[in-house]
Amino acid sequence: MATETTSAKVKWGLLDAIVVVFALIPVLWIVSLSFKTTATLTDGNFIPREWTWDNYKLIFQTDQFVRALINSIGIALISTVIAVVLGTMAAYAISRLDFPGKKALVGVSLLIAMFPQVSLVSPLFNIERQLGLFDTWPGLILPYITFALPLAIYTLSAFFKQIPWDLEKAAKMDGATQGEAFRKVIAPLAAPGVFTTAILVFIFCWNDFLFAISLTSTEQSRTVPVALSFFTGASQFEDPTGAISAAAVTITIPIILFVLFFQRRIVAGLTSGAVKG
Amino acid sequence: MAINDRHPQRRTLRARALAAGAAMTLMAPMAACGSDDGGVPVLNFYNSPVENMQSVVDRCNQEAAGKYKISYQVLPRQADDQRVQMVRRLAAKDDSMDILGMDVTWTQEFASANWIREITGELKSEVESETLEPAVASAQYNDKLYAAPNNTNVQLLWYRKDLVPTPPKTWDEMIKMSQQLKGEGKPYQVMTMGAQYEGLVVLYNSLVASAGGSVVDESGKKAVMDEGALKGLETLKTFASAGVTSPSFSNAVEDDVRRAFQSGGGAFQLNWPFVWASMVQEAPDLAKKVGWARYPAIDANTPSKTTIGGSEQAVSAYSKHPDLAFEAIQCLRGPESQLYLAVNSGQAPSIEAVYNDPSMNEAYPMKDVLLEELKTSAPRPRTPAYQNLSTVVSAELSPPASIQPQQTADSLRKSIQDAIDSKGVLP
Amino acid sequence: MSVATRPSVDSQPSRRSRPALSEGKKQERKLGWLLCAPAAIVMVAVTAYPIIYSIWLSLQRYDLKFPDDREFIGLANYATVLSNNYWWTAFGVTMLITVISVTVELVLGMGLALIMHRTLIGRGLVRTSALIPYGIVTVVAAFSWRYAWTPGTGYLANLFSPEGAPLTERASALAIIIFAEIWKTTPFMALLLMAGLALVPDDLLKAASMDGASWWQRFTKVMLPVMKPAILVALLFRTLDAFRIFDNIYVLSAGANETSSVSMIAYNNLMKGLNLGIGSTMSVLIFLTVAIIAFIFVKLFGTAAPGSSDEDGRR
Repeated sequence: MATETTSAKVKWGLLDAIVVVFALIPVLWIVSLSFKTTATLTDGNFIPREWTWDNYKLIFQTDQFVRALINSIGIALISTVIAVVLGTMAAYAISRLDFPGKKALVGVSLLIAMFPQVSLVSPLFNIERQLGLFDTWPGLILPYITFALPLAIYTLSAFFKQIPWDLEKAAKMDGATQGEAFRKVIAPLAAPGVFTTAILVFIFCWNDFLFAISLTSTEQSRTVPVALSFFTGASQFEDPTGAISAAAVTITIPIILFVLFFQRRIVAGLTSGAVKG
Repeated sequence: MAINDRHPQRRTLRARALAAGAAMTLMAPMAACGSDDGGVPVLNFYNSPVENMQSVVDRCNQEAAGKYKISYQVLPRQADDQRVQMVRRLAAKDDSMDILGMDVTWTQEFASANWIREITGELKSEVESETLEPAVASAQYNDKLYAAPNNTNVQLLWYRKDLVPTPPKTWDEMIKMSQQLKGEGKPYQVMTMGAQYEGLVVLYNSLVASAGGSVVDESGKKAVMDEGALKGLETLKTFASAGVTSPSFSNAVEDDVRRAFQSGGGAFQLNWPFVWASMVQEAPDLAKKVGWARYPAIDANTPSKTTIGGSEQAVSAYSKHPDLAFEAIQCLRGPESQLYLAVNSGQAPSIEAVYNDPSMNEAYPMKDVLLEELKTSAPRPRTPAYQNLSTVVSAELSPPASIQPQQTADSLRKSIQDAIDSKGVLP
Repeated sequence: MSVATRPSVDSQPSRRSRPALSEGKKQERKLGWLLCAPAAIVMVAVTAYPIIYSIWLSLQRYDLKFPDDREFIGLANYATVLSNNYWWTAFGVTMLITVISVTVELVLGMGLALIMHRTLIGRGLVRTSALIPYGIVTVVAAFSWRYAWTPGTGYLANLFSPEGAPLTERASALAIIIFAEIWKTTPFMALLLMAGLALVPDDLLKAASMDGASWWQRFTKVMLPVMKPAILVALLFRTLDAFRIFDNIYVLSAGANETSSVSMIAYNNLMKGLNLGIGSTMSVLIFLTVAIIAFIFVKLFGTAAPGSSDEDGRR
């Protein structure tokens, strides 16, 4: 492998630039829409001719958006934590242990992920209303966990499968306790999978529209993607495009923070994996 | 939301959402179970997000003086989403919905499924005596009244006075004028909605009605696709392939058309009256050059008939307080409320007398043409399976330039009949 | 190499003792069930009734508008849907979108994963910005594409086709839909693949490099085998998601010019038409199609699939 020469750096720099441009230009277009005035909203200019903060002021003028933001963050975080914990447990069992019913579990969880959700929301609505879960946080958290679990179980089992588990034994032979062996050897190796899963599950919960619109009815539990569809235009046929763009930009910030925070853990897995006995 | 200062009274999102938020926090526990626990009965009013609707609700609550309390439950912006939410609750016999704010095209469906109550008594005589006749007709099912229209709407022809001194009377004339302008290198496009959705059905329905035809028979049970319906297809085809539409015609919805016209490429626009307020606000120079006229006709000697739109209020069959709900509707859609929303939220009134109020002159300078068109407007096909029919028709007509009139008419006749009978698959 | 020769610590002794379950084996079973129980219970509790109910509905004529006509009609709904042109057109479109977008995403996602994983500079920046598209609410992203591609109002339309309207032609509309889909979900692939890459031991790569293996050989012989499970998961979940594409089409073309997908048709029948029978039938058919695709993937990848008895395959 080449050492860190300047030419290698230039090469990577170029590749980086391509990735960033490809990923961000459409995002910048949304940012641009969010800063345009209504009169210039769709003048076709990539860069706004007139800049305005009005759209951002507008969404933060009311507690409608802020409430939705709090709901979104709370519901997505709780669902992510529970789904990742339950998923880790199940994935560990699936990749490490031998027990009857294992294949059934793997199969069934995939089937659940495959069924079109649009035909499941009406029965879910009926159940939740009977149980009093409709329009509550648990009423959304439960389906989110359910539909995130298949992905979590699959992702995590895929990673656990590749972890050299005998390292744990080796560490124990070297005198480490069970806990130490897990913390120092296994946990860092499992981390990339766990945090990757966490990011994916979080984004899934964060962006869901179908369940959120069908299983909520007030600001009590309405999440941001749904709140966007309650913004009003100046009249029936006018779309509040500026405000929606501003809201979309705003709610992408927590995602960025979340990813920024967790992407380091993915590196952590790699480096600790390299220093093994 | 986009325009804050169009009207001084229009406090947009803020006031409404604060008030709505406060109301919801207060009402939430009650709304959830729909009971009144000995207190003031709560009437849940499910309606689309309309600016300043909360003020109307507040006023009605004040007038009710403790007899009932209306709680405004906001539905999503898209009509399809609103309907899905309501239907899901109605199918579950949810008794926490009392008053339903509906689109006019849902009347037949909701009434035939016994989801809404027939309107009788005082409210009925009020509605029938003061409301514009076509609006009343669109709220009826089997000659019985099921809803109270609170807002009504038709599309007008908006044209550039600086380019065409006298507005065209017919589609042919309009196409010729446009082609001439094109030849002269001036803005020439005729802009209207042609995407595969309800708007395309509205356009086609106006053409058919103006040609004196119909798509389904009086009973709403049989697809006819008569001569007039064929004429409508021919006109639509001619229009779409005459080189006068904008390139994005077959993907355009209301707001796209408004924006495109505002940016100056069009000589004509066929659209709802909401475009005027926006134009005055966002493109004032253009607005000075724009006039309005009656929607073009098919035949110079027969005035056009335009598709009527709008919204109405009905009482859920599962409401625990139907009598109070009817009473509340009297206030919610009464003349005072309609005038308020007309001036502050751009909702055209369904009560004719409201148009005579002086404050209407500023908000609705086009009100004379509007009223004239409203009085002769045409309903969309009246069948409980209207959503099926609309889905099928918009799919078959899209893109309009590819219509083969006779062939399309034959295939429409079959697929509309299937749609009415709820047979087969929707596209 | 540790990865390749991993012994399955607990299960090995019990394998040989067939007649009675050893104590260790029993313990292992119990632990396995215990660990899986919470996940299994949640999933089944939430979805069992809705899924069974949907399948039951698909065997009935049941239209919410005409509740009195409800009756059991066996597989008649399936015959209706499977003999319908709209359905097959949408099916073809959906297949096309799925195959193209998933293939392109796999290649792009692999490249992106390599860049995010190995880049020497700006790693945090690249990783974060590459993931942003996936984090943006789909409907909003779709609307921004719609504006961008509408002549007169968008930068892309003005740039690429000042005369026409790309969203009103079938081929260009499909291309835009696929592009929007790829832009949005490549990060999903890339993230899964990158986490797979993180498991490729560095010393293995170094050893291969010293043995004179080219970059391509190292990639195919060392990296890909270790990444196989991650690739399977990425492919599997992307495919079943791509096959249910809805938002992008709904916003960009509303299904005009035969760009409708099976999910859009199912939505129209279920939610607009309130035809629960036909709508549920379509859901079940979508489900079956996806299940077949998933089955093929799992078979192709063999022992890389989760839960497969990999001990035999690996040694």
